[in-house]
Amino acid sequence: MRISRIPRRAVAAGAVLAVLLPLSACGDGDEGGSTDASGKIEGKITFQTWNLKANFKPYFEGLVDEFEKKYPGTEVHWVDQPGEGYADKISADAAGGTLPDVVNVSPDLVAPLAKAGIAMDLDKAAGKYEKEYLPGAWKSHQIPGTEGTYAFPWYLNTGPLFYNKRLFKDAGLDADKPPTTYDQLFEDALELSKKSDGKVATLANAPTIEDFGRYGVPLMDKEGTGFSFNDAKGVELLTKYKKLYDAKALDGQALTATPESTGKKFLTEAVAMNPGSALDLEKFKKDAPTLYKNIGITPQISSTGKDNMYVMGLMVNARTKQTPAAVAFAHFVTDAQHQMEFAKKVAIFPSTKGSLDDPYFTKQDGKEDTRVRVAAAKSIKTAVNYTPVLFSEQMKVELRNAVARALQGKESPKEALDNAVKNCDRLLKQS
Amino acid sequence: MKSPTAAKATSSDISTAGPALKELPDGTRRGARGARVRRQLPTSPWLFAAPGLVIVAVFILYPFISTLNNAFTDKRTLIPGEYVGFANFSELLHDDMFWIGLRNSTLYVLVVVPALVLLPLLLAMLVQKHIPGITFFRSAFYTPVVASIVVVGLIWVWMLDERGLVNAVLEAVGVGKVGFLSDQWLLLFSAMAVTVWKGLGYYMIIYLAALANVPRELHEAAAVDGAGAFRRFITVTVPAVRSTMVLVGALSSVAAFKVFSEVYLMAGPAGGPAGEDTTLVMLVQRVGTGLTGRVGYASAISVVVFVVTVALMLLVLRADRKEDA
Repeated sequence: MRISRIPRRAVAAGAVLAVLLPLSACGDGDEGGSTDASGKIEGKITFQTWNLKANFKPYFEGLVDEFEKKYPGTEVHWVDQPGEGYADKISADAAGGTLPDVVNVSPDLVAPLAKAGIAMDLDKAAGKYEKEYLPGAWKSHQIPGTEGTYAFPWYLNTGPLFYNKRLFKDAGLDADKPPTTYDQLFEDALELSKKSDGKVATLANAPTIEDFGRYGVPLMDKEGTGFSFNDAKGVELLTKYKKLYDAKALDGQALTATPESTGKKFLTEAVAMNPGSALDLEKFKKDAPTLYKNIGITPQISSTGKDNMYVMGLMVNARTKQTPAAVAFAHFVTDAQHQMEFAKKVAIFPSTKGSLDDPYFTKQDGKEDTRVRVAAAKSIKTAVNYTPVLFSEQMKVELRNAVARALQGKESPKEALDNAVKNCDRLLKQS
Repeated sequence: MKSPTAAKATSSDISTAGPALKELPDGTRRGARGARVRRQLPTSPWLFAAPGLVIVAVFILYPFISTLNNAFTDKRTLIPGEYVGFANFSELLHDDMFWIGLRNSTLYVLVVVPALVLLPLLLAMLVQKHIPGITFFRSAFYTPVVASIVVVGLIWVWMLDERGLVNAVLEAVGVGKVGFLSDQWLLLFSAMAVTVWKGLGYYMIIYLAALANVPRELHEAAAVDGAGAFRRFITVTVPAVRSTMVLVGALSSVAAFKVFSEVYLMAGPAGGPAGEDTTLVMLVQRVGTGLTGRVGYASAISVVVFVVTVALMLLVLRADRKEDA
């Protein structure tokens, strides 16, 4: 049966090719560009943002047009990725060699990319721009254990603590004197739960790494070789949260909560306090007018005197073939003028030196959102990003599970935190 | 295999087609042009199958081989990794979360499969009847099948929330609030209920097709012999649709063991309180994705999932063969 053998071989060869061809595509490929950004600014680059297209399309299109006009011969292709699964999208692109030239990142996303040599060291490529940014902001994208800075600081964010005055009043608490210390917070939360017969919780979120940081718990050693949030202060915080959970002062669904679900709880007046930003005021006004009438605003509670802030950055892909254009564009987007323009469109804060002294961030005009903005701008000068840059998603899960075990009483707070630190250290060594 | 009649017809066609005729061993004759046609014919099926084969090779075979290979390495998302032998499998044995995942996935099979084998059959028997308006009910029962799992998940999260519809009803009748989304076991069983609810319509359609082939005379004969509805169900319906029940059992057990969406949507990315509701596929997603994902370790878990699902299939099919014997 000679005739039938030929197609079988052909099919076998085809199958082998089909298997091997994609394998061959997984090779190292072209390592691409260099850190020399001194050449002519030209060429086509891709710029990726993180869930910004829906609300800020005109701003970014204007930004791209302005850059292309300033540097003829350049072409910027802007892509925006949804917030959900952003880290997965970056990891798939990074692994597949299709990461855009300029990428919107947070410090914890930069860390593995820098370690893998995919994020460009801006101390080498763009060190001359360092003086334009707040020192803390520039340092926020430095990774313990490595040398260099791996992203331009972009916008910063922080916000106050919102509380529901009606729920405070109903519990017999002074709605004009919200808690300002952790002790007061825990005291008020227990009172609120007691008075409402366990129907109203004060908080909807189990403590995260930021909460431990704000409480004054040392999170990690300076060299970035091990975690330390299982110290006495960490155990103390978790013990207090356990008391809240038992008294239903912490929402019953806190162990499975997400930022979205806790936001909804506050919106529906199921919980009395929730952290947020000036942007939330508009949302309350529109989606929950009854809540808006009773909204109270108070600074973040912190034992360290420093608020928590979130930092965004723009990373330049170390494998870009258009290093000068990519570095120039990342700097262009994050320079003082453009950050200020962006800040006026949304409740964020620029990371450039002097920007926070602008009257927009210092002068009151009697409006509630201005009050929040001015207060937040004041606190952001000293705020810190409590999330260690080496604290990966897997480590966050380890901590969340440990906290849940402690709150449920399956492990003591000390035992739970010891296990979490052990597991996080193991993951750190494996990364 | 060509039938003798067909062979004769071909031979006769060829004899009129051209002068160059050949005597073949089986006594028929074939022209040179005919021989060329015959020679080309066997390649045609392969050509038709080629696009499908390429797709299978690229999207199924290659990922499968790649996963198998990765399971023996310490590959990470951004780091190629090195060969580590059975280290990942050995680590699995000491990983509490793996055992939790295995427990939950197995429990899912044990609870969901019997429900999905039996309930859709009962539903199919109900909607099989030709009564006015039955089409509406058939469509209504099928609607969850075509609904997006994300939408379904979110709807059930809202319904089972502490302030949701179900708790409002329970509170109204004096039962009080139930922590469907905060208790480890209630959460898992709620997710199972959603899986069953979403799968009912799909398997109902399969059973409807099987029931249509059950001869009415059998039911009538059993009724004449004095068998009641339950007796007829056991002695007539079940034996008639037994092979369909096996098919449903096989399909639903594999799907149940690989459950992801329902639990993920209801229990959250952490897999419920302290991750106690994590299933094996959720664990694969959690440890294997992201910038610091342990691809090698996640691949080892995937291999376990593959082995168990194949074993499940074999078990169901073997049980079927034993019944036949």
